[in-house]
Amino acid sequence: MISVRNVLVQAGGRVILDIPLVEFEEGKRYGLIGENGSGKTTLLRMLAGTLQPSQGEVARQNPDGVGYMPQAPYAFSFSVLRNVEMALKNTPDRRDKAARALEAVGMQNLLMARGNKLSGGEAQRMAVARMIAKPRQLLLLDEPTSSTDIRGTDSIENTLLEYTRNTHCTLIFSTHSPAQVLRLAEEVIFLDQGKILENGPARDVLENPRTENARLFLQHWRI
Amino acid sequence: MDVIREIFGLLFGQDPELRQIIGVTLRMSSLSTLVSALLGIPLGVIIGSTNFKAKRLVNRVLHTLMGLPPVVAGLMVFLVLSRSGPLGTLKLLFTVTAMVIAQIVLITPIMTGLTANIVSVKAPLIHETAAGIGLRPFQRMLYIIYECRVQFISTVLTGFGRAIAEVGAVQMVGGNVQFKTRVMTTAIMMQTNMGHFEFAIALGVVLLVIAFLINSLVSRIQESAGLA
Repeated sequence: MISVRNVLVQAGGRVILDIPLVEFEEGKRYGLIGENGSGKTTLLRMLAGTLQPSQGEVARQNPDGVGYMPQAPYAFSFSVLRNVEMALKNTPDRRDKAARALEAVGMQNLLMARGNKLSGGEAQRMAVARMIAKPRQLLLLDEPTSSTDIRGTDSIENTLLEYTRNTHCTLIFSTHSPAQVLRLAEEVIFLDQGKILENGPARDVLENPRTENARLFLQHWRI
Repeated sequence: MDVIREIFGLLFGQDPELRQIIGVTLRMSSLSTLVSALLGIPLGVIIGSTNFKAKRLVNRVLHTLMGLPPVVAGLMVFLVLSRSGPLGTLKLLFTVTAMVIAQIVLITPIMTGLTANIVSVKAPLIHETAAGIGLRPFQRMLYIIYECRVQFISTVLTGFGRAIAEVGAVQMVGGNVQFKTRVMTTAIMMQTNMGHFEFAIALGVVLLVIAFLINSLVSRIQESAGLA
């Protein structure tokens, strides 16, 4: 169980995140949704350990088992294959494992391409491959498909579903797409101005929001 | 045509003075660039990639020093190395070493500032990505340096360009002594004042050729690294 208790994150005198309590069950998939600036990235960064809260505590697994993919993952100037191998230090057969991870996201033809020459969507798929190249206990992904086309999005979603099924890894991702939450997550956490507005089973919350702000946000949801 | 012939004669003829001036210039600029790079780049990496309380103040001081007038740098070094100065006993004034020191004072802040700017753009992205896949702080720092390598080479060459073209500070602490501390820029100034324009033009041509070669080298490196 990963838990966030009495957490407060402030920056420049402004409260960015204010969470009394939220718990994440191991092996489940969670989608974070909310407007820009609602605190999704801050929550993910805090769970990843790259941001320390002003107060409160975050209890989570051994950092070695945590993978975090930022919103704009950096693609290093060496080959795509080596970019993924970076995540597999001291792992036997790391070249094969990296190649398999890249194949899973449909990048088998770009193994030797330079990372810094990839398009935004390709860089994102490569970054997902970095995450799934080895078994992890917790995967934190910040808008993992924000730059991918529908085919790339489908490939990433299917890959993540299969990965979490095989590894029993906890997945927490942020997105602007309620439809993606329904496809990929079991639970949803609705954030608004740094606070959790609603959380619970994804379909229940998204189809029958209880709060006014969640209703107002979701009324913009179109097919 | 006579002017061009005279320039070629000065460059490749019997008189060793022009070649000697070019030699001193390249030796001084290379050495000052090397020392400035060894000091400035690591300092810039630290400033650009870490957050500390006085960072804003350090950046302001650094940006001020980047625009340090050469004559002020020359005056500072002159006072330190002059006979009554704290390092007067070393008798370095009017030597190439004094010129190198003055250039280090001038170029190190430029290299530090440029490096810090380059690193501060890339470091947060690299740091976040590398931390996300479990790399340790030292490994992250190595990747930051690796990813900025081409820009660092450009920084070094910018420093060299500044060193070779500098006149105020080296004139003050070097004294423009013939066959000893005379460099291209001080020689151009002197020859122009004396009305020897052919000699001044010949030196100017050499300076321009060196500047062109440096720029070509920077472009070549950037192209080969796939960053251009």
